[in-house]
Amino acid sequence: MHSTEERMAMDRRALLRSAILLVGGTAAGVPAELFAQGPAAAKAKQFFTPAQFLVLDEVAETIIPKTDTPGARDAGVPAALDALMTNWASAKRQQEFRALLDDMGRSAAGEGAASIRALTPAKRLDFVRRYDAAKMEAKDPVYGRFKELVMTLYYLSEPGATQELRYELSPGKWEAFTTIGPDTRAWAV
Amino acid sequence: MEFDAIVVGSGMSGGWAAKELTEKGLKTLVIERGRHLEHGADYTDSLSPWELQNYGLVNEAEAAEDYGIQSQCYAFSTATKHLWVKDSDHPYTTAEGKPFMWIRGYHLGGRSIMWARQSYRLSEMDFESNAKDGHGSDWPIRYKDMAPWYDHVENFAGISGSKEGLPQLPDGQFLPPMELTGAEKDFKAKLEAAYPTRKLIIGRCAHLTEAKPHHEELGRIQCQYRSLCERGCSYGSYFSSLSATLPAAERTGNLTVVTDAIAHSVIYDPKTGKASGVRVIDAKTKQGRTYEGKVIFLCASAIPTAQILLNSKSEAFPNGLANRSDAVGRYLMDHLSGLGAGGTYPGFEGNYHRGRRPNGFYIPRYRNVTEPADFHRGYGFQGGVMRDNWRRGIGRAGVGAEFKQSLRSPGPWRISVGGFGEMLPRPDNRVTLHPTKTDKWGIPLVHIECSLGENDKKMIAQVNADAKEMLERAGATDIYVRKHYGGLGLGIHEMGTAHMGKDPTKSVLNQYNQAHDVPNLFITDGACMASGGCQNPSLSYMAMSARGAHFAAEFLRAGKI
Repeated sequence: MHSTEERMAMDRRALLRSAILLVGGTAAGVPAELFAQGPAAAKAKQFFTPAQFLVLDEVAETIIPKTDTPGARDAGVPAALDALMTNWASAKRQQEFRALLDDMGRSAAGEGAASIRALTPAKRLDFVRRYDAAKMEAKDPVYGRFKELVMTLYYLSEPGATQELRYELSPGKWEAFTTIGPDTRAWAV
Repeated sequence: MEFDAIVVGSGMSGGWAAKELTEKGLKTLVIERGRHLEHGADYTDSLSPWELQNYGLVNEAEAAEDYGIQSQCYAFSTATKHLWVKDSDHPYTTAEGKPFMWIRGYHLGGRSIMWARQSYRLSEMDFESNAKDGHGSDWPIRYKDMAPWYDHVENFAGISGSKEGLPQLPDGQFLPPMELTGAEKDFKAKLEAAYPTRKLIIGRCAHLTEAKPHHEELGRIQCQYRSLCERGCSYGSYFSSLSATLPAAERTGNLTVVTDAIAHSVIYDPKTGKASGVRVIDAKTKQGRTYEGKVIFLCASAIPTAQILLNSKSEAFPNGLANRSDAVGRYLMDHLSGLGAGGTYPGFEGNYHRGRRPNGFYIPRYRNVTEPADFHRGYGFQGGVMRDNWRRGIGRAGVGAEFKQSLRSPGPWRISVGGFGEMLPRPDNRVTLHPTKTDKWGIPLVHIECSLGENDKKMIAQVNADAKEMLERAGATDIYVRKHYGGLGLGIHEMGTAHMGKDPTKSVLNQYNQAHDVPNLFITDGACMASGGCQNPSLSYMAMSARGAHFAAEFLRAGKI
């Protein structure tokens, strides 16, 4: 905002405020922290067990790996999804996601290594690809939502939205029909 | 405390009534049931997606327990949760088997903060419709009565649009139109070739595509194309009570606003035959108190306005104030919404768009205008053709670097058209007071009985058939058809519960939005609508409010009321 605009906005707020007859009411605004991801959310106790979190971490990074841009792990997707379990998920969903990660962990163990992390990267990719294909083929709603969340948390994260893709908080104008090349990235939103 | 005028409600209609009345020199009190909302400070439009609490996802248990109805609104997220009522705090009842999703926000500015900003005039055929097909009461006004008031509110609010010369959708005082995407222009050409009397135009919306001096005076600037509108706009780029009408009212020095004051009833004085004031309950203390005024405007939105009237019982009005017609609460309408179709729009791989246009295209009504139908009235479509992004990967198999790479570039163009249909006014679609249940302030609960009629059902089927056919004929692929999503209320266009009419024995308001039975009582919110048209109604509420305020002030000055 330019300073003139800022001043005008301030004046208008002051004007409107002066009109308010507060009858037992409160003038307090809603603090922005209420809406933002605060440090409190980040510090919340981990929801998943260490074994479950390990599976989540490996699977998320395998679905969206680090390439020339950050992958799910560097974008903080596993921690963000764990926080969603505490701050968003219903009891039913919490249970479903724990069961899903347990199932993925068990299935990975069937691939001949102690855990999903012990698999070679090539074998891990092969395992997650087969698991994903089977679940998507079966239209499994729990895995479907899990994958959707991994994607959402990645593409709406700052690295996902601004390094892998593009995001502008305030575009300033509307260009209805631009010409693009083969390397043009999509808008995250 | 005595005022010249009292306005109940601070949303779309109340803000306008307050602006006009104060500008005419009337000391005006605005009563708002909700809390104070601070323009800018209480908005969340500065947050990027990764800064939003839970990435926008509202806690599932909380959404189910406290926001069972509100969470069905498309604009409900952690960024806007504070702008919707807690259903658990504000219950209402509905008739068995007739759900009605009542979407509400209780705060200064009301739903003018979260509205979808589409702004269309009603036309002569809308004002004639009841008289012609016999449903509802004949409007006591015609388009010519409204035209200057549409001009007036469009100029002040700032409405972007294009002049098209369509009789069913009159042109207005427009700011420059937003541009269609190339794919939308292509769709327009194909549509208009396939259906010579259908038109596709850019949506008309309450956004400043250019800020004029009278907008800048209020601190409003040009739209920045963020499309975060339902979070509130700190730039004041779209019209709301907080960005425009209330600040304009305030600078007259004639405005007083009281928040957290729930209108309980309007007090009637049998000696004068007029309303003398408004009884309110303090939302915090639950104490009652009264404000006196020479003229009363009810702008509480259609359902609460009916509730207040029905709760204003006296010896003279045993069935509720201004209700000798028994029409108060009846003829409840919404727009049929959530209909239409979508699909993939082939081609244009070398093109994209930049910025987020808070608007789409509009296909004005053609049924019973240029094309026949086996039902009365008609519908319009809102839509867009934009390129998909990473979301096209949701629901698809694929993992790894290849998957990531495949979602890096823009996806195919997607087309979506959504119908908005006119519901017929029917007396049995009705708001009453619950006979026994009251809210936590002791006010009888609203009971809603509203359902689709045969005409509405026929229309829904045709909306979907038309949408599908238009997409097919334009060459779209992967076409899916949407159903009426969940039901009535989700159009968020409640109307008709204290409608205007010529006959005082059948309607509530006269041609001035003045109650037939109570000369100093005016109603200019959606309750006043004798029919709904298929156009988004807010612009009409604005114009009705400005017009009603004009007559009220004139009558007051002349000593008539």
